[in-house]
Amino acid sequence: MIKPTILVIEDEEAICNFITAILNSNGYQVIKTGTGKEGVSMAASYSPDVILLDLGLPDIDGVEILKSIRKWSKIPVVVVSARGHEREKVEALDLGADDYIVKPFGTSELLARIRTALRHSPQSMGGQIQGAEKTTVGELQVDYEKRSVSLAGKAVHLTPVEYKILALLSKNAGKVLTHDYIMKEVWGLYAGDSHTLRVNMANIRRKIEENPGAPKFILTEMGVGYRMVEEL
Amino acid sequence: MDGFEGRPDPNALLADIQTQQDNHSGKLKIFFGYAAGVGKTYAMLDDAQEQCRMGKDVLVGYVEPHTRPETLQLLQGLPSLAPKSVFYRNIELKEFDLDEALRRKPELILVDELAHTNAEGVRNLKRFQDIEELLNAGIDVYTTVNVQHIESLNDVIEGITSVQVKETVPDYIFDRAEKVKLIDIEPDELLRRFEDGKIYKPERAQTAMNHFFTRENLKLLREIAMRKAADRISNENQNERRTTEKMANTKMLVCIGPSPSSAKCIRWTARAAEAFHAQWVALYVDSTDSDYLTSQQQKILRGNMNLAEKLGAEIVSLTGHEIAVSVSEYAKLSGITNIVVGKSRNKKTLKNLFDIDFEDKLISLLPNIEVYIIPGATARRDYKKPRKTTWKGKVEFSWIDCAKTAALLVAATLVSLGLRKVGIGDQNIIMTYILSVLVISRITKGHIFGIIASVASVLSFNFFFTKPMYTFNAIQAGYPITFLIMLLVALITSTLTVRIKTQAKLAVQRERRTEVLYEINKKLLVTRGLENIISLTNVYIVNLFERSVVFFPSDPEAGTNGSVMQADGDTDEAVLNSKDEKAVAHWVFVNQKWAGSGTDTLMEAAGLYMPVIAQGKVLAVLGISCVKGFLGHNTRQFLRMIASQVAMALERQNLSDEQRSIIVEAEKEKMRSNLLRAIAHDLRTPLSGILGASSAIRENSKTLDESTRDKLNADIQEEAQWLIRMVENLLSVTRINEGESKVNKNPEAAEEVVAEAVSRIRKRFPHHKVEVSVPDELLEVPMDGTLIAQVLINLLENAVKHSAVTSPVEIILKRTEDAAIFEVIDHGKGIVDEDFPYLFISYVPNGTKSSDSSRGMGIGLSICMTIIKAHNGTMEAANRKEGGAVFKFTLPLERSE
Repeated sequence: MIKPTILVIEDEEAICNFITAILNSNGYQVIKTGTGKEGVSMAASYSPDVILLDLGLPDIDGVEILKSIRKWSKIPVVVVSARGHEREKVEALDLGADDYIVKPFGTSELLARIRTALRHSPQSMGGQIQGAEKTTVGELQVDYEKRSVSLAGKAVHLTPVEYKILALLSKNAGKVLTHDYIMKEVWGLYAGDSHTLRVNMANIRRKIEENPGAPKFILTEMGVGYRMVEEL
Repeated sequence: MDGFEGRPDPNALLADIQTQQDNHSGKLKIFFGYAAGVGKTYAMLDDAQEQCRMGKDVLVGYVEPHTRPETLQLLQGLPSLAPKSVFYRNIELKEFDLDEALRRKPELILVDELAHTNAEGVRNLKRFQDIEELLNAGIDVYTTVNVQHIESLNDVIEGITSVQVKETVPDYIFDRAEKVKLIDIEPDELLRRFEDGKIYKPERAQTAMNHFFTRENLKLLREIAMRKAADRISNENQNERRTTEKMANTKMLVCIGPSPSSAKCIRWTARAAEAFHAQWVALYVDSTDSDYLTSQQQKILRGNMNLAEKLGAEIVSLTGHEIAVSVSEYAKLSGITNIVVGKSRNKKTLKNLFDIDFEDKLISLLPNIEVYIIPGATARRDYKKPRKTTWKGKVEFSWIDCAKTAALLVAATLVSLGLRKVGIGDQNIIMTYILSVLVISRITKGHIFGIIASVASVLSFNFFFTKPMYTFNAIQAGYPITFLIMLLVALITSTLTVRIKTQAKLAVQRERRTEVLYEINKKLLVTRGLENIISLTNVYIVNLFERSVVFFPSDPEAGTNGSVMQADGDTDEAVLNSKDEKAVAHWVFVNQKWAGSGTDTLMEAAGLYMPVIAQGKVLAVLGISCVKGFLGHNTRQFLRMIASQVAMALERQNLSDEQRSIIVEAEKEKMRSNLLRAIAHDLRTPLSGILGASSAIRENSKTLDESTRDKLNADIQEEAQWLIRMVENLLSVTRINEGESKVNKNPEAAEEVVAEAVSRIRKRFPHHKVEVSVPDELLEVPMDGTLIAQVLINLLENAVKHSAVTSPVEIILKRTEDAAIFEVIDHGKGIVDEDFPYLFISYVPNGTKSSDSSRGMGIGLSICMTIIKAHNGTMEAANRKEGGAVFKFTLPLERSE
């Protein structure tokens, strides 16, 4: 099997070093660059499987790099950003980033993100049929054909909107979906404020989570959106 | 060092202050002449050319278009401002464009004809007001004026030339000028120029020649102009040496009234006061006897008061029934040394044959005071001397008074009939009737019932008690005299009564004003906060004047609305906060002068606006609606007094605000430095650990065994993690807005925030058990989610650290009526009593507690406190009876502050 190639665009050498160390020792091939300009051209010439992009680069704004890559490619991009910069993350996600990771992060977190990104990459999606019939996470099962949700074999009764939200999240399990994205997908053009979404989410959690104060299936990404876990 | 960069350089500050002072006021130079054609404009332009050559930014604001060609030539090379066209009654008038001049802001501007009266529709009534604005904007101004336009000399010149000059300039403008250049030529030379047609066009020249341009006139005018200029010089010299002492010695008083000749007295006094360097007072006594003034007289009176004010007098109006007495009382009390009165020659009539003249009375009352008598204008008598006695208010007919009169008369008749029965003499009957007339005059309003009663008494006496009985035929010779006496009694009594009543009313009115002022003062003294001061002021003004009021506590140019209080049946907020009205208020703010309805500036406004000034700074602008009509002089005076009270209150408020902000700033500074000290200390420990461990690994890589290396690596990781948490805590504090301690609040699902914090703690302490409990209903709380999550993480971390691995940590979310409650409970040892006071403080005063032991949790908790406070929440810690501690904080649910 060919080692998946990861392009790391990061200007801080120390961070770059440790990312490379982790990725190399976990069976990935790493190419790295410290500037945005080089990053864009490398993305074009190497066609990596995943791009790890730091948003705070010295030469070009990370968001601009993302825009220029998205013009011609659907390579999964994982954005690296500092905590507290929620707006920046949401912007990146809305512009087509696949996921984000918050500095400082640990080894396991980084590897999990890379794995998810690879799974959602266009190449790997090629084999999978876009419209999978069902998603199963632990005891939770979402059946798209029957439009039904069950927890440990028991049917869960959801309103149509709640089902739409859950289906959207489960189809994108592992990926973070921004509030705006979810609202647009579920309510379309007439998306209201995030209050409605929060209320629906609270109801979904009351129905599927054991303890809505410590959810297992749908995690909150503060200030960004929601993410359904891929596995428990 | 970085910290010093933001510090202002003292020299720069000084320079700043100097430029500010320079900015403060421009310099005025007046080219002063004694008649048209002496060459003022020429001299002005010549000087301007010189300034222009010296590199000054000169702008010609306005030069009369009919200027002589030689003069016009001098305009060449000077940039000039296009005049503004104003249409008035379909006639196009060219006016000086003030706004454009203010916008261009040259260093020096030339504006011809200081005394010009602007066309209607221009902001200011007079050009000198335009010039004042220019000066206030820090622009130097050159202007020209002739001697006959000087206000205080106006009447003198009128006396000489018998040409009345309507366009006048108040003396203070002349005095304000930094330089006055007297432009002088021989009158013969001027006349020659005049005959050559250089001054006026031939058709106008003839009329001008006849009236004005005679050699004698010109000579006199020249002398006056020179004297005026010389006075200025001597003033300058005197001001240097003798100052206040002289001023204290002389204080002049001029009596003014609703007569045009008062203006002459006012001007005379102004000149005399100027010469003596004395203060002066213009006193108007509103006589209770004189009843009501005609609107014409009121207008003249107002004009006189304005004139006096313009010339620098203090205006006082008193109410008294005898003018001389009031004047003498006032003079005694306020240390007046000289009194000026106007006198027009009275024709000896029968009426005033026995009257003592006003000035005689005055002299007899004030033997030590010098009295100057200024002869009244006799040339013109265009005002009607006799007071049009309005009967309004006297002929108030009321049924109650009617009934009272009838009842008393009937009673008197009955008593008299009784007396006659008993056989007591006629004289007593007359007495009874006189008594009844007296009582009637006393208890009814106005003269009318008293007179009716006296007539009725006489008639009924005649009818009932004189022979022949029950007829109106009076035979006895004494009866007409009885009749007359009764009538006189009635008249005198009712007049006295009316006078007492009016005086009582006036006294009450005055008393009320004093009381109100005192009350406002008292209330303002205890009022704190700008809002409260404003609303208090508004309430009082509305109640007192029954007009809508608007209060701008800051310059309304920025578009901020003033606080409006609407009076019944007056204009509302929409009018008083409209753009036009705000522009007036803004003007007042900038120029520190009254403006709006009833003044000379921006008189089309709906309201009258006055500045609230303290220490030369406008603190606020008070506007009062004049839709119901102009405000009288008394009202303005009263408003001025209120404004000064408000100014004091505002100033006090500003001072206390300033002081508070200084205290807060100092407190913050102290907190910051304490925090910094604590952090620096806390950061050092883990950093030395990391440094030690990493160097141990690198330098002893051969000798270290696997487990030791692992242990060292684990230490590095742990210390680094702690450092990151620390830094994150600190960063979160920076999210709180500097200064205001305010946060960006957005509604968040509280359970999601809790879940976020719990998941982070679980990741960090995978072996500890965290129990979460949230309400069944979704609870949305306005907050900065990241910050609250940070608080929860800190509390949870604290709880985990203080409890054994086996005992769970609980986090409970509840709601009350108006708040969300977050509780973090541990089952550890609890908090030591002596720690309680310092729990939420980053800095332990005596340093008894080693920071190593707490590992900066003190900082963590103090940050939590800061965040919660910024959310207007509360936070507390307690030990539980069951053991362990509980940290509890609440966040308000409403978005309101």
